[in-house]
Amino acid sequence: MAEQASELTLRTRWLPGPRLNLSRIVLFAFFVILTLGFVFPLYWMVISSLRPEGRIFVDAFEIIPSALSLDSYRTLFEEEPYGQWIVNSIVQTAGFAITALFLCTTSGYALAKFKFRGRNLLFILILVSQMIPFHLLIVSLFLMIIQLGLVESYFGAIIPIAASPIGLFFVRQYMLSIDDEMLNAARVDGANEYQIFFSVVLPNARPAIATLFILFSLEYWNNLLWPLIVFREAENMPLAVGITRLINQYQQSYDLVMAGSTLATIPIIILFLFLRRQVMEGLAATGTGMK
Amino acid sequence: MIVFLVFKVYPVILAVIMSFQNFQGVKSQEWVGLTNYQNVFELVRFNQALANTTVYTIGTLLILIPLPLILAVLLDSGRVVQSTVFRTLIFLPALTSLVVAGTVFRLILAEDGFLNLLLSSTLGIRPLRWLETADLALPSLILVATWRWTGINILYFNSGLVNIPRELYEAAVIDGASPLQLFWRITLPLLRPTTLFVVVLSIIGGYQVFVEPFIIYNGGGGPGDGGLTMALLIYRTAFTSFNFGTAAAMGVILAAIIFVFSLIQFRYFGVFSRED
Repeated sequence: MAEQASELTLRTRWLPGPRLNLSRIVLFAFFVILTLGFVFPLYWMVISSLRPEGRIFVDAFEIIPSALSLDSYRTLFEEEPYGQWIVNSIVQTAGFAITALFLCTTSGYALAKFKFRGRNLLFILILVSQMIPFHLLIVSLFLMIIQLGLVESYFGAIIPIAASPIGLFFVRQYMLSIDDEMLNAARVDGANEYQIFFSVVLPNARPAIATLFILFSLEYWNNLLWPLIVFREAENMPLAVGITRLINQYQQSYDLVMAGSTLATIPIIILFLFLRRQVMEGLAATGTGMK
Repeated sequence: MIVFLVFKVYPVILAVIMSFQNFQGVKSQEWVGLTNYQNVFELVRFNQALANTTVYTIGTLLILIPLPLILAVLLDSGRVVQSTVFRTLIFLPALTSLVVAGTVFRLILAEDGFLNLLLSSTLGIRPLRWLETADLALPSLILVATWRWTGINILYFNSGLVNIPRELYEAAVIDGASPLQLFWRITLPLLRPTTLFVVVLSIIGGYQVFVEPFIIYNGGGGPGDGGLTMALLIYRTAFTSFNFGTAAAMGVILAAIIFVFSLIQFRYFGVFSRED
């Protein structure tokens, strides 16, 4: 009996007193209803994409629809370059995540393990750049990619936004914990700095790299503003820009827009369910806010 | 490292320079001093955008601080069965692109959309024209924000909560403290750094809100510019009117606002606060 009581105290963080089952049931019901509210828009998106054309509003009272149709998905792939957008999104997202990781790990390593003049100033400068709103940069960045001839190119879409101060900070903090002795041992064994970086430093920072890879991918996949400025041609766009184009083109065809939104979202949610712990802990640790 | 400087520091300098210049097309420009800034503040639309964005930010703060805080405390209390499942499901909206959040809520908020259906069938409220009424633009946007960000803020509050030593609660319970007293006297004060962090993050995010109104109002400012935000106006000034100088000046003003709030954050947390 005493044992049971102490177990309960451990599980209870702040609610003391008699453990009324009623309060637990009420609390549970409250969270079920609340959670339904949060999940419902996603359900509505999927269901609306499956309704036959023109039935979205007429059948809105049917929470569980009686008639389903894949027509909107067919239109998406046959009349719009949706397949191309998926490919673009995957290629650009991978390119972005790898570029951003490369920048973070190399600079993070330099800032963590090498002593050079102005290092602290540089580090603070990079951190301060985190607070610059992207809208201050868009005009200058736009003029820059025009001058560099990078409009409509993957390079233009990826490189100007690939420098992530928060990511660099995260990597630097992680690399500070790598033992200097290990690096020196490698140097004594005759490894050059590149070998040390790729075969000693990177493998040791693997957890941080994996977390950042996921967060960077999510960031680019969901990003709208910069790709919207870089890409005007439909065949180069990633999904987020493509969906925006669908809205403008088919004002009232919600089924089509919802089908496009569903296909851009559901794979991410399924991936997330496998990587839940890493995503949520990574987010809590970096505090990026996720745009 | 050079990339950081090239794409962060240089564009800032360029933007500040441009805010003092008059652009004729992409190539030619001339110095015009403070004219751009004067123009900006004389623009009715800019003042409206500034007011809208401020109201939006305050609105999101009023909801997105207390709600996730209370939910996080409840989920952490050990009294909710399956709390991880709830946490995960409430977090799901954060995974969606803001574009998708925009399209879904365009559908739900439509005049014959689901929200009106729900309100009229349960509460008997007459259908509201959420997307076509100027005064309903900001509430609509705040609703979208609540949906999208609650899960993330719960996450932040939760990581603050697990750092509160459990012994404090046990000691207080032995001394006969009530649940409410525990919340006000222990949880809230010890959670202050986290709360402040989330507040600053929300302010910075709120002032930069762009994608949601851009999607919901088709790239415009919504009915009577009721949904026009600063970021949206900057984008339109730059890429619809091609008024780069004015857009840059607006960007500098937006940056100044965000800078002030960031300074508050730095002051209270120190530059290396997230080092733990």
